[in-house]
Amino acid sequence: MIKSHPSEAILYQYAAGDLSASMTLVVGTHIDMCPVCQQTVCDIESDLCQKHLDTVVETLTTPTAAFSGMSKATCDKMLEEIFSSEAKPSIQPEELICLEGRRFVLPRTLACNHSRIGEWTNLVGKLWRAPVNVGERGHTNLIYMEPGTQVPEHTHKGQEATLVIDGVFNDENDVYYDGDFILLDADRTHTPQTSENDCLTLATLDAPLYFTSGISRLLNPFSSLFFRV
Amino acid sequence: MQVTSERTSQRGVMNTTQQDTADKAAELLAKIAESRSRAAFSELFSHFAPKLQAYGTRQFGNEQTAMDLVQETMTNVWHKAHLFKPDRGSPSTWIFTIARNIRFDLLRKNKKRKDDISADELWPILAEQNDNLDDGYALDNDVLMQEIAHYYGQLPDAQREVVEKIYIEGKSQQEVSDSLGIPLGTVKSRTRLALKKLKELIVEHD
Repeated sequence: MIKSHPSEAILYQYAAGDLSASMTLVVGTHIDMCPVCQQTVCDIESDLCQKHLDTVVETLTTPTAAFSGMSKATCDKMLEEIFSSEAKPSIQPEELICLEGRRFVLPRTLACNHSRIGEWTNLVGKLWRAPVNVGERGHTNLIYMEPGTQVPEHTHKGQEATLVIDGVFNDENDVYYDGDFILLDADRTHTPQTSENDCLTLATLDAPLYFTSGISRLLNPFSSLFFRV
Repeated sequence: MQVTSERTSQRGVMNTTQQDTADKAAELLAKIAESRSRAAFSELFSHFAPKLQAYGTRQFGNEQTAMDLVQETMTNVWHKAHLFKPDRGSPSTWIFTIARNIRFDLLRKNKKRKDDISADELWPILAEQNDNLDDGYALDNDVLMQEIAHYYGQLPDAQREVVEKIYIEGKSQQEVSDSLGIPLGTVKSRTRLALKKLKELIVEHD
């Protein structure tokens, strides 16, 4: 059972489309793995829909008259353009990822972004990362820790979200398994490590602080390693 | 999970008019998906376009962008009607999530970033379903427990034991690993193999 979930406030922002792209990716991937959050998000989307769409026009008896902002001509023109439009090709999820002889199945949202995953780099010892390019300033990475890996203690500025895709890791606070979502606030110290199992995680950290603060090396639990290479 | 249950019950008290509207919209979507009915789409359009326009206007404060949102949202509805799943929510919620995605893209378009990610990648609500996945992290929701029970006995003992603990007793893979004294990796591979086998059995007998 997944025990560490995004807060209801984060799920709400996710459903409303108000999170950054990288945070949306991490939260969305958690939701793929978590039936509890799937249900909560369904309910939130239904609420948001009631608020934004359902209550706007209670009944609609005369279609063109009710569409006050558009004349019938504009309506017809839009319909014509829609009927003659080409369907956009659907995104093809690609769910397998391989590293060091290990094969992982990616959850759906991450699988839809497979082409954005860059090359794996060995950072130090048994620690690997592959950047996920979401096209916005920020640092989103897949992190792979082989069994028996320890990341040196460090602090970070800004929020960092980590999701366990497959495996187990622990820090001073807890042990985390598949699907666990961990949000760390600024100035927390922790030492992620694996013991007998390996661990694949997806992690993202706040970008603006990194680029403006000049203390970049302290940003992410793994960042001193990322930016040295 | 207090809030969640309150929400669910709220949804239960949808009034009759709303329910009628939802049923009607679902019917229209089915017609569009099956026969590309322009009449059905026009009817759906006249119901949702004003709502989407109002939403867009509030979000962007700009009539032209609001119109773009109406057009792009309804274009997706026209082409992707077959992806609407009545068991997952109401038609208006589905259309809202499409509009939410379009809004996300329109808000970011102005910033002109390279390689920018699109909302459809982040919320893959319009991606075709790939049913061939033998995913290790969650059992396909469509596969009902009752259905599985028929094929369950055909699994090797080691796999059945693991599946039973995870999907019936609700244990985590780690807990299963601890209680059976086998490595976590073995629990995972047994689960994957068992789910794959079950899927094959179910597909074979369908």
